[in-house]
Amino acid sequence: MRRTAPINCTLRHCLAALALLSMLSGWAGADDLRVPATVQAGQSFSIPAEGSGQATFYLVGPDHVVKRSVTLGSAVAIQSSDVRAAGRYHAILCSSSCTSAAFLVEAAKPAHLSFFLHPSRVPVSTPQSIDATAFVFDQYFNLVLTPAVVDFRITPESGASFSRPSTARRGVTWMRLDSTPHEGRVQVTAVSDKTEEARVIQQVAAEACGLRMKAIPSGNAVTLETDPVRDCSGNALPDGTVVSFTKVDRQGKSTVDTPIKKGVARVEFSLHGPAQIGVACGVVLGNEVALNGKL
Amino acid sequence: MTSIVHLALALKKFSPRYLQVATFAVLACVLAAAQSLPQVHLDASGLAPRPIEELTGTTIARHYALAWRDMAGALESGRSDVLSEEFTGIAKDRLVRRIGEQNQTGVHVRIVDHGHQVKAVFYSTDGSAMQLVDQAQLEIQIFDGNKLIDTQNAPQQYLVLMTPGADRWYVRDLEEVSAKTF
Repeated sequence: MRRTAPINCTLRHCLAALALLSMLSGWAGADDLRVPATVQAGQSFSIPAEGSGQATFYLVGPDHVVKRSVTLGSAVAIQSSDVRAAGRYHAILCSSSCTSAAFLVEAAKPAHLSFFLHPSRVPVSTPQSIDATAFVFDQYFNLVLTPAVVDFRITPESGASFSRPSTARRGVTWMRLDSTPHEGRVQVTAVSDKTEEARVIQQVAAEACGLRMKAIPSGNAVTLETDPVRDCSGNALPDGTVVSFTKVDRQGKSTVDTPIKKGVARVEFSLHGPAQIGVACGVVLGNEVALNGKL
Repeated sequence: MTSIVHLALALKKFSPRYLQVATFAVLACVLAAAQSLPQVHLDASGLAPRPIEELTGTTIARHYALAWRDMAGALESGRSDVLSEEFTGIAKDRLVRRIGEQNQTGVHVRIVDHGHQVKAVFYSTDGSAMQLVDQAQLEIQIFDGNKLIDTQNAPQQYLVLMTPGADRWYVRDLEEVSAKTF
């Protein structure tokens, strides 16, 4: 019995406190706002505004601010255009005092891809040389944070097409791939849901391989001409690529840089006695010829 | 400043990689203290697919802090012209629109910034984009005219996309996300 009295006393206090809270909430004019925890971007919905009389409703979001008069006891309609940007929105209802609630707007389904392919030109047969990065956005350009599959479809100019599926995390996905052995354009298309973006890179010949030249003497001069300059995969180096010929004779050392034209590089040297001539293209050295009657 | 000293002492316990990461934080804190910027602590450990250079980390932390300072100023003053310094693309468009509508409705927002714990989560191989997750401690007060109509004081999480410009990193996308997202 001794313990009952304090308990009763506590209960009485609790009831009094509840009654006081109830009165205080009644003074607030409008009841608490009930909003969904999350809403998909561009999705209309309504917020019940309980109570009676007139009030002012505010919606403050990442790119949009609404202020309008509402009648309590009816629902406040939130239009699809009010919630396009992803992020937190504050709904506030003020009559004699204000109540508020926050909700998050999340991205809708994928509708846009922002796709980067790097570099724009790449040598053939180079491991891990092509980088593709795709950002996945919805129709309102919110980053789609739910995992979305992005299929990277690779179509070389020659050879079979292939694809590399990847799952976007936090709205972004990336991959690296090797360049193929043949020069020419390579199209990479990123596909997600019903949206796709294509980019093209150019695969170019790699360094020269097996560089060789021949010498054609005529009097006191010699014409040097390379064989068709190709990389190790057999791709012709593009015209304009510089080939260097270096001659050492009695007058000293002289170097001539000449561009490849129609697949070969050609140069003419005047000779002053025995000479040693070498050829190089980039970091690749070719054969040497010694001129004084023997090659 | 005391927290900076504590942070520097704590660095001794970490590997050189963490030391580098924490250096960004120290520099950002020093800069913040010097210029009344919000505190930004950038953690770039485990960043993929490309690691971050020290200078890049420092620059990003500084410009992200500047972005928050400018955004807070713009949302409170109703002037969107200051946003071009640190924002671009969709982030800038959204803020400009919001500030325009704030001005039309008489609403303005005050942000009391208590700092940002930022983790870099993606840095593209060509260096053209970096994604950050920001755990921000903010007090957001919403006013209609001079009347305070709402205050929010909970930790907030932002997903940020920054891209480099000629001399700085710009905030290109800034979205508040649910803590459950990650």
